[in-house]
Amino acid sequence: MKKGLRIVGRSVARAEALAKATGRARYTSDFKRGDMLVAKALWAKYPHALIKSIDTSAAEQLAGVAAVMTAKDLPGRNGYGIMVPDKPVIADGKTRYEGDPVALVAAVTEEIATKALELIKVEYEVLTAYDDPREAMKDDAVLIHPNHPAADKGNLLTVVKLDRGDVEKAFREADIVIENYYETPMVEHCYLEPDICIAEPDDLTGGLHLICAQQAVYATKRCLAPVFNLPHHKVRVSSPIVGGGFGGKEDSSLDVAAVAGVLALKTKKTVCFELTREEVFRTTGKRHATYIKHRMAATKEGKITAVDVETVLNKGAYTSMGGLREPAHAVTMRTAAYAAGVYAVASAKARSYSVFTNTPYSCAFRGFGVPQAIFAVECQIDELARRLNMDPIELRRKNILRDGDHTIYGQVMKESRGLGLEECMDKVRDSIGWDKPLAQSAGPVKRGRGFAVFMYGTGIPLLFEGASCFAVLNNDATLNVNIASTEMGQGVMTVMAQMAAEALGLNYEDVLVSFSDTGRAPDSGPTVGSRSTVMVGNAVLDACRQLKDRLLAFAAKPFKADPRDLAIEGGKIFVVGKPETAESLAALIAKAYASQVPLAATGVWYPPQPSFRAEDGQGEPMHAYAFGAHAIEISVDTETGVITVDRSVFACDVGKAINPAAVEGQMEGGAAQGIGWGVMEEQVMENGVMQNAAFHNYMIPTIKDLPDLESIIVEHPNELGPFGSKGIGEPPIIPAAPAIRNAVWDALGIKMNAIPLTARTVLAEIQKNGKA
Amino acid sequence: MAVDIKFILNDKPVELQVEAQEILVDTLRERLGLTGTKKACGTGDCGACTVLVDGEAVRSCILLTASVDGKKVLTIEGLGTVENPHPIQQAFVDAGAVQCGYCTPGMVLTAKALLDKCPNPTTEQIKEALAGNLCRCTGYTKIIKAVKAAAKKN
Ligand code: FES
Ligand code: FES
Repeated sequence: MKKGLRIVGRSVARAEALAKATGRARYTSDFKRGDMLVAKALWAKYPHALIKSIDTSAAEQLAGVAAVMTAKDLPGRNGYGIMVPDKPVIADGKTRYEGDPVALVAAVTEEIATKALELIKVEYEVLTAYDDPREAMKDDAVLIHPNHPAADKGNLLTVVKLDRGDVEKAFREADIVIENYYETPMVEHCYLEPDICIAEPDDLTGGLHLICAQQAVYATKRCLAPVFNLPHHKVRVSSPIVGGGFGGKEDSSLDVAAVAGVLALKTKKTVCFELTREEVFRTTGKRHATYIKHRMAATKEGKITAVDVETVLNKGAYTSMGGLREPAHAVTMRTAAYAAGVYAVASAKARSYSVFTNTPYSCAFRGFGVPQAIFAVECQIDELARRLNMDPIELRRKNILRDGDHTIYGQVMKESRGLGLEECMDKVRDSIGWDKPLAQSAGPVKRGRGFAVFMYGTGIPLLFEGASCFAVLNNDATLNVNIASTEMGQGVMTVMAQMAAEALGLNYEDVLVSFSDTGRAPDSGPTVGSRSTVMVGNAVLDACRQLKDRLLAFAAKPFKADPRDLAIEGGKIFVVGKPETAESLAALIAKAYASQVPLAATGVWYPPQPSFRAEDGQGEPMHAYAFGAHAIEISVDTETGVITVDRSVFACDVGKAINPAAVEGQMEGGAAQGIGWGVMEEQVMENGVMQNAAFHNYMIPTIKDLPDLESIIVEHPNELGPFGSKGIGEPPIIPAAPAIRNAVWDALGIKMNAIPLTARTVLAEIQKNGKA
Repeated sequence: MAVDIKFILNDKPVELQVEAQEILVDTLRERLGLTGTKKACGTGDCGACTVLVDGEAVRSCILLTASVDGKKVLTIEGLGTVENPHPIQQAFVDAGAVQCGYCTPGMVLTAKALLDKCPNPTTEQIKEALAGNLCRCTGYTKIIKAVKAAAKKN
């Protein structure tokens, strides 16, 4: 790790925070104007049905309606998707979930657009709608995608396989086998900013500009250009700051942009399509619900010897982040890869089945399937500790992956990439006072304590991985850095500016980071997978290094010094050790500019090429891991079943915290979402229809539901990360749910394997067990 | 039906003719260009659209514009500016309580209504006051710190 850092490692205030706190920051919907057309979609009345006929004539006649579109009116391909173009812009002959548009309208006002929708007549033939992938994968199930390339497998989209060692033998020889069935719910991201796109035809170029709250401007351009029948270079995609994404706005942004875009092309006018909260709930992507059969073999000394895991994932109606080429499925692949969690296990078999249903499509959501896989493992090891009568932390210590160990997918763990899990465990253990028993009272409230750990390979192996950026030095010694990543609250503008300022010797205030615009920056990759700090950060450092090398080479002559003896700091350039030689950097840059020294650079970075074999799930898919340990104390009111989280102590190894306050922010926000996932959140579906599509019946944690969230930052540097960093956006969501489940077992002596642990479920279990 | 109304908006008198069923958040955002007030649910469940009416925190997405006739309305734009932020706004920035920022204007105004009545709130009082404001990014820990820091500065 570098010594003497000036800006990296400090909690400088976020670049855009004051504009947000004063209401001046503009989000996509703040760019709406009265002269834009308003788009509305007629959503599928039945989640799974054949469309027999559509009559739009009355809607077309309505004054103020600029366009009514059905599938036959589209300019290009009626299909898009991050991996497979199987999601129609407008349903053609068939609906597969309640978020399929059947017709689109653009009108001068929202009222007229809504009225026009009411005038459209559609005849359906209703088919069986599936909510549960275990039903949908049965042989006699109705095919949801009869013409899909994967249709020969029925509603099964894909199977990811992982095999290592002799699993049969390990189970035969095991002293103890833990076997359980776990269920995790489908949940909505609940970013506060509803999805929106403003599509503007560009008369100058004949192209289209999509202004759209999202996480992946380049992916949007690639996925949607064929829908608009436009060449890629004429589709410009940009995103103002985003009001939260958590993975969802990698996909739902395509939905709104496709609709706004085709209507803009049709009407040759600017069109705005904004979802209501109810539409966000019913139509956008979700976290995959999973059903996990987990078997774990161990010796009586507590060494885990094998795992055998079968996971069924609810894919929902469309492929989204899935894929046809096995095993390139961001989420399905990770449920297999993390089937043994953070532990060194010699033999493993994992099968993960991704199955189409008639629920909203499942997509990226903070953690890409790792939270689901780790939930099962961390419950399993807790049970193993109980059966062996061992301390759960000590049992984990015995089994965690260490330098030189192989994961179940064959990746070798390296100290040089930072392995800080044990330090996280120790810090959490001390801080929560693990060895002191919890005080219990005589009343109906029982208290309990639970523990869980995680690891998370940052980045998106098997998809495009790498990043680029532009950097431009100005004559006043300020720097513009243009990246295509999204600022959605995580602080990418701030940490990129910190790293660039550090690398070039500039003041933090003298760096400006522009973001999310295919018209202004090269592809930085999507803003997902906790990848930006490492991938984009390295690309920014690459650009800064080039600019610095050019400046120092140019300065060598006037300073009569070797470039290696020159340094730049705080806007000055000088000979190291001779502060009296200092000159203004701006003056030097002005001279360099006049002397044909190029002051713009493209920075790039690619991680080691990831691998993961389709036949057996072996390879080296990740380049570095973030780690963490979480201890949670809860109270359960045995008369009501209500769980209260009393204390949450969380440590994460992030490699290097570029901005510690931002890292804490990710840890606290992730812990909150993990707690929500564990005790209250669930998208309730009935025959493909969501039953709780509002914030008053779909619960997310309020300020009253959470304790003070304690965060401890641990830093075991990653040799490949800028300044040693690893990335930490997503993983903090992972361990809270299993820690809570383990705490409930501790409090009540009751094992519950399906989350969310709502008051109703907990009370039912208490009554069933006669423990009220 | 159109109604004529007069009210004080961010310390300045405003006269408007609005439709009887017009909702305050739309009037502010679409008619008056005050886009600092956010709309995240439109059903009164999240608090993102909070403004102060005669000092009380109210949800502007379920409030008829006509009902503010004769009242004083404060939106986030009237509280402070980037150049001259209100101490609560500055405290949110300093505490790291702003992530995506979509909840922030509503949080800040709800905190203002609280601190005006109760200058030194306990953690419980802060939680009670902010219980109707959802934030999906922060886990609220730094928001509580920000409100306490703002109280101290007062
Ligand atoms: S937008 Fe008004 S309460 Fe949510
Ligand atoms: S900061 Fe994003 S919702 Fe609160």
